Amino acid sequence: MKGNTGRVADINLTTGIVKTLELPEEIYRRFIGGSGLAAKVFWDRADFAAEALSPAALLILMNGPLTGIKLSGASRMNATARSPLTGGIAESSCGGFFPPMLRLAGYDGLVISGRAENPSYLLIDEGRVTIKDAGGLWGKGILACTADLQKTYGKKSTSLVIGPAGENLIPFACILNESHHAFGRCGMGAVMGSKNLKALVVTSSTGDLSVANPERIKTLIKELTPRIKDYLISQVLHDFGTSGNLEGHMYEGDVPVRNWTSNFDEEMAGALTGSTLSEKYLVKTATCAYCAVACKRVVKIDEGPFAIEEGPGPEYETVAAFGSLQGTSDLAAVCKAGRVCNDLGLDTISAGATIAWAMEAYEKGHLTDDATDGIPLTWGDMDTVVNRILPMIASRSGKLGTLLSMGSAAAARIVGSHSLDYTAQSKGLEAPMHDPRGGHGHAVAYAVSPRGACHVQSAMHFMETGACNYPEIGFEFDLEALTHEKKAETMVLAAAIGSIENSACLCQFADRSLTLPEIVELINAAAGYGYDVATMMEAGLRVFHLKRCINYRFGFVADDDDLTPRMKEPARDGDTAGIEIRFDEMKNRFYELMGFDPVKGIAFRKKLESLNLTEEADRIWSRTL
Amino acid sequence: MSMYYKDADDLYKIYGYFLDRVLRDDKIGLKMSKAGIIIKFMYTDPDAEITIDLKNPPAKPGYYGTFYLGPCDLKEDVWSKQPADHSHRFWHGLENPIAGITKGIIKQGGKVTAMLKLLPVIKPAFQLFPVALKEMGLDNLIVTKK
Repeated sequence: MKGNTGRVADINLTTGIVKTLELPEEIYRRFIGGSGLAAKVFWDRADFAAEALSPAALLILMNGPLTGIKLSGASRMNATARSPLTGGIAESSCGGFFPPMLRLAGYDGLVISGRAENPSYLLIDEGRVTIKDAGGLWGKGILACTADLQKTYGKKSTSLVIGPAGENLIPFACILNESHHAFGRCGMGAVMGSKNLKALVVTSSTGDLSVANPERIKTLIKELTPRIKDYLISQVLHDFGTSGNLEGHMYEGDVPVRNWTSNFDEEMAGALTGSTLSEKYLVKTATCAYCAVACKRVVKIDEGPFAIEEGPGPEYETVAAFGSLQGTSDLAAVCKAGRVCNDLGLDTISAGATIAWAMEAYEKGHLTDDATDGIPLTWGDMDTVVNRILPMIASRSGKLGTLLSMGSAAAARIVGSHSLDYTAQSKGLEAPMHDPRGGHGHAVAYAVSPRGACHVQSAMHFMETGACNYPEIGFEFDLEALTHEKKAETMVLAAAIGSIENSACLCQFADRSLTLPEIVELINAAAGYGYDVATMMEAGLRVFHLKRCINYRFGFVADDDDLTPRMKEPARDGDTAGIEIRFDEMKNRFYELMGFDPVKGIAFRKKLESLNLTEEADRIWSRTL
Repeated sequence: MSMYYKDADDLYKIYGYFLDRVLRDDKIGLKMSKAGIIIKFMYTDPDAEITIDLKNPPAKPGYYGTFYLGPCDLKEDVWSKQPADHSHRFWHGLENPIAGITKGIIKQGGKVTAMLKLLPVIKPAFQLFPVALKEMGLDNLIVTKK
C-alpha cells in the first residue's frame, strides 16, 4: 500500500492488549482516509448502545492519504467518537505535528477502547505502542503536562494531551497538540479522560513515507507551494491569523455579538480583528508541520489584569467566542481566556457560547443569583469569566460550574423559561462564530452537519463567501449571501467537498486555493486511488451519507436537523437587519437533492446502494441494527 | 467592449468626481487615510490607471488623501488590476471581491492584506457611487441588482 501504511493500532486500555489492524486498500479508496475512514471503522466496530464515556466507546484517530507529504496544510488528522455533548457522531480535525509523526511511526491511525485502571498515557515509538503510567501527570494543566512529556521524550517528540476538563469528563473538553493545535469540538477530551488516558506521545521515528508516485508528488508540491503562499487568504492568515478578516466579517453580519442578540458592533470589529492582535500582542507566528502559511499566533501581554507569558495566541473562533459574544472589545482578556481554556482543556467555542448564553439568561432573570452561586453575570465582565467561571466549569464546581459544564443546550433544558430558544446550537453542539444571518447558507450547513452546528464539515462557508470556485462540478456562480437561492444545490456539493477535505486531511484554510483536479492528482500521486473528479466527489458524498447513517443509529432523525429560534430570527442591526432566513425551503430542497427520507433524515436504500454503501443500507433499512 | 465607459477619459471623469467626494468624506475618507498606503488601480477595457495616495499628506486641504488619474510616478504599496466594468459594478456593491480574486478576474500584488482591510471601510461608498453618477447626469450608468 502506498501513501497510507494500511496499519492501524487497536489499543484496548482495559486489557492492555495492543494489536495491529490491517485495513484493506479497497476501504481506503472508498472512504479516502481521515474522517471518512474513521467513520467506516467506527461503523464497523462501534457498540452503538455504548454511552460516549463508557469503556466500550471508541476513540479513533486517523490520518489521511496526504498526511506527511510535506505540502502546506496537509498535516492534519481526524478524531472520531460518540460525542458526550451531543450523543451523536463526534468528529474533530487537528493540525500540528502529531499527524505526520504518527505516520512516520508506521500508523495511519489508532483505535482506542476500554478504560485503563490507572491514569495512563500511550507511547508510540518506532511502530510500537506502549501503555505507560501517567500518575505524575494526572491533574496537570495541558501546558505543564506537554512540557513534562517533551522533557522526558525530547524536543523531537510530540504529544496529544488533555487537561483537567478532560479528566473531569466535561462534555466539551478538548485535546491539544503542543498546547496550540486542538481537537476542539464535540468533547474528544472527555472521551480520552473517560479512558483514564492523559496523553499520547509519539517520538521521532525513522520510518519513511512511501507514496505511489514520488516524482509527481515532488513536482506537485513544487508547483503548488508558491500559489498556496501567494493566495489572498493565505496572506491574510499569515499576516493577521485566522481572525485576520474579523473586521470585514463584522460588516457582513457574520460575527455574533452578545450571545447572538446582535451581529454588528463597529468598535469590537476594529478592536478584535487580527491586525490589532498583530499590532498589540504578536511576538511571532507559528505553524503546523511543513506549512508555508504560518497562521498560528504566538502572543505575550506584558502587563495588566490579563498579562500572559509568551505562548499560543487565540484563533478567530476564540476571539469571537470570548470577545464579541461576551460583549467585550478587550483583546487582552480574550487572549487570556484562550490561554486559560487551552490549559484547562476546554473547547473555546462551546465554553464561550455557554457562558454568553448564561449572561443573557441572567440578564433576563432566567438564571438567578442562587443558581450562579451569587456571581453576577454581566456582559463584558471578563475578570469573572477568566478567573472564576472557566475554572469552575473545568472542575464542575459550584452550582454555576456544574450547570455550565453541561454545555448550553443541556443547561438551558434545566433552566427552562424558554432559555433553549436563545442558545445557538444544532444537535447540542454550539455554533461556531459565523452567524447564518450574515450568510444564509450557513443555516442549512449547520443544521445538516452530522456533528452538529459546524462550518468546516462542509465547504459552504468558503463557497458562500466566494473563496472557492469549482467549474468542474458546475460551481462557478456567485452566491448572494443574504438569500436562500442556490444554497441547497451548493450544499450538496459543499457536503462532498468538505468530506473530501476532512478525509484527505487537508487544511480548509491553507489549501483553499487547490482545485478539485489538483486534489485528485495529489491523492492519486500519494495513494494511487485512481480517482477522477467524479469518483472523488462520489467518495465525499459516501462519507457524508455514512456519517448520517451513524447518527441515525444514535437516534438522530430529520427533526434534529434544525437551528434554534435565535439563529433563525432576523438580525436586529447592521446591514443584515430584518432579512428573513428561509430555512425550511433550503432544508427541504437539500433533502430532496440528497435523496433523504424526510422523517428519518438518511438517504433511502437505493441512494445508499448507488453510493456503494450496500451493507450500510442493509443494516439501516432492514432494521438489523 | 465596455458597457459603461467610452474610453479612459470617460472613466477618469467619473472616478475623478467620485473619488473627490469619497476622499473629502469625513467618515469614509478619514477611515481610509488610516490605511497609510498607496494603492494603484489598473483597469482594462478601457486601459486606465488611478493611484490613491493614503500615505503622504494630502495635496489639497479638506481631503484625507490624494488621487491621481492616469499614470503617475508614485511607487504603490499594493496594486489591483481588473476590467473597468467589473470595478464599476463593484462600486455599486454588486461584486464580491473575494470571488473576483478567486476566479482570477481581479489580480493583485503587494501588500494585499492592507487593501483587504480597506474593504469594510469603503463599504459606505457603495451608496455614494450611484449618487455621484446621478449628480453627473449619468443615470443610465447606474446598475441595479438583477
